[in-house]
Amino acid sequence: MWRYTLRRLIQGVITVWFIATATFAAMHMVPGDPLGSERATTESIRQNLEARYGLDKPVFPDQYLIFLGSMARGDFGISFTQQNRSVNDIIREAFPVSAQLGLLAVLFAALGGVLLGALTAINRNRLPDVIIMFLVILGISIPSFVFAALGQLAVVRLNDWSGQSLLPVAGWGTFQHMLLPALVLGLGTMAFLTRLMRSSMLEVVNTDYVRTARAKGVPPLRVFWRHQLRNAVLPVITVLGPAIAAITTGGFVVELVFAIPGLGRTFVEAVQQLDYTLIMGTTVFYGAFLVLMVILVDLIYGWVDPRVRLS
Amino acid sequence: MPVKEQHDYALTVDNLEVEFDTYGGTVHAVRDVSFGLRRGKTLAIVGESGCGKSVTVQALMGLIPMPPGRITGGSARLRSAGSGPAGSGPAGSGATELIGLRERELNRIRGNRIGMIFQDPMTSLNPTMRIGDQIVETLRVHRGMSIREGFKEAERLLDRVRISEARERARQYPFEFSGGMLQRVMIAVALACSPEVLIADEPTTALDVTIQAQILDLMQALQREEGMSIILITHDLGVVARMADDVAVMYAGQIVESGSVEAIFHRGGHPYTLGLRRATPSNDPENRQQLEPIEGSPPDLFHPPVGCGYFARCPHAMQICEGSMPDPFDLHQPSAAAEGIRHSARCWLQHAQAPRTAGLNQNDAGREEP
Repeated sequence: MWRYTLRRLIQGVITVWFIATATFAAMHMVPGDPLGSERATTESIRQNLEARYGLDKPVFPDQYLIFLGSMARGDFGISFTQQNRSVNDIIREAFPVSAQLGLLAVLFAALGGVLLGALTAINRNRLPDVIIMFLVILGISIPSFVFAALGQLAVVRLNDWSGQSLLPVAGWGTFQHMLLPALVLGLGTMAFLTRLMRSSMLEVVNTDYVRTARAKGVPPLRVFWRHQLRNAVLPVITVLGPAIAAITTGGFVVELVFAIPGLGRTFVEAVQQLDYTLIMGTTVFYGAFLVLMVILVDLIYGWVDPRVRLS
Repeated sequence: MPVKEQHDYALTVDNLEVEFDTYGGTVHAVRDVSFGLRRGKTLAIVGESGCGKSVTVQALMGLIPMPPGRITGGSARLRSAGSGPAGSGPAGSGATELIGLRERELNRIRGNRIGMIFQDPMTSLNPTMRIGDQIVETLRVHRGMSIREGFKEAERLLDRVRISEARERARQYPFEFSGGMLQRVMIAVALACSPEVLIADEPTTALDVTIQAQILDLMQALQREEGMSIILITHDLGVVARMADDVAVMYAGQIVESGSVEAIFHRGGHPYTLGLRRATPSNDPENRQQLEPIEGSPPDLFHPPVGCGYFARCPHAMQICEGSMPDPFDLHQPSAAAEGIRHSARCWLQHAQAPRTAGLNQNDAGREEP
């Protein structure tokens, strides 16, 4: 188990290095540079700035090696666009916001997906199943920014109709601010998980071991929890890693629409302004985060399914 | 007085009818099936695939998915020991009617008074639960045992089904066991609450031959120790000869002949029983015979024939067979009265006016009855 974890971690480090290198190359291939065009600068000021940020050295190998070295120390340097703030500070401030939002969205997607999937499977081909599966198709095919706009519209109408401010339309601060964006962010993944859970549940319902449990005289509710749900949820856990990735990257758009000061919005702005250090910092951070999540999910899977744990 | 009343039955089934609704129409899977399981004895139900053997016992256990399944008639009574001979009264007097029982009440009987094991042990146990937990589950549900008590009992049960190192084994998962070992575990699960009746639905079909023998030996040994009654579903006449006291032969959803194992093997009274015997390979070098498969295939149970289901394949079919199915003719021999259940066959050839047929036991005692 420990050896397995260690091996996965080493693989993860290699993955992150690969992401960092690819991003570094892509970033420098884009025309323009962070010091360009902002305001008129004399040649000497420009040279000074370039020297200060190390941009006067050749991109490869000098800048690349310097970057790798500082990344290994966990220091991503000073932001080009946000005055006197280190990239580490910016991440430290923005990430908890994104993490809260993402966590709520993942929770919402996983619980909703498992619950709705089990519900539709039990009511197979009956009205609840037909209705939910129709909504699921919508959920999978409509992109999250459409839901974001529709959600905001609905909240505005709701507030107008009730005459009071039930939910904020955008912004950040209280738990109420999180609800709508988390819902929008998790919706697509929830729809996907519902489908997965439904088919998995339908398979499990007809298995021999469920019949055995019934032949043992186990009450229906216990058969459902101990024998059906536990086994049906295995495939859902497998895709939870990629699902977390989907929700995290989905957060880029949702944070922009809802004006949430999270890491996703920071990243999008950094790319627009070619803030070299901030781009590298957020990318590597996100990469490492996702790799960790996937490893974590795999470890959880081993805990739930003994066949994986011991082989 | 019917012969049936002479025996102490653990379970009796009368006129059971099971149907399934499918896209193609209604399948009459079990038609007018009656049998009795003598206490402490083994009853084998034999017949080819799709003849309704498994459906019959699953109906008793309430394991038929409804819908599409439907039990349209009949009764099955579980009789507790000492409740007197069968027929001494309807459902009262210590007998429990199983058909139509509500899920809650059924769950007090399943796993408690009737245990069941299945064909494929590899898929019949929950892959994400430890073996011990799956045995404990039965004990918790029916006996209210604590997990600690239950685990002790589970270890004792694993020991009883001859699984060594029961302590470690109880903490392992099904994928760490071989097929034969898992069937032992299934037997331990089924016997956890010392049921009066064990239903074994093709318990050895999925196992290889040497393991088959071990499992059958184990079942026999446990039956001697526990005194339980066994319903054994099989299509293997070798297993029947080895295990059964009584035999019921099923064809196209009906029981066509039943009797003691000797009666069925040596004095078969239904052409299908004879056909089955001739289609069974023998290992006896003295008695090498060409295998004779039964020509044709079973009737379509979407539209079951009005007459005998075997009519189209029967070498001795008569005109009357096409139009009607007889009630069972009694083939019982007075000398064998003490042994086994009543020998009877549902075949017009047993009628007093039927022609003599070579190889078929046409009892004279039977000839006197109409």
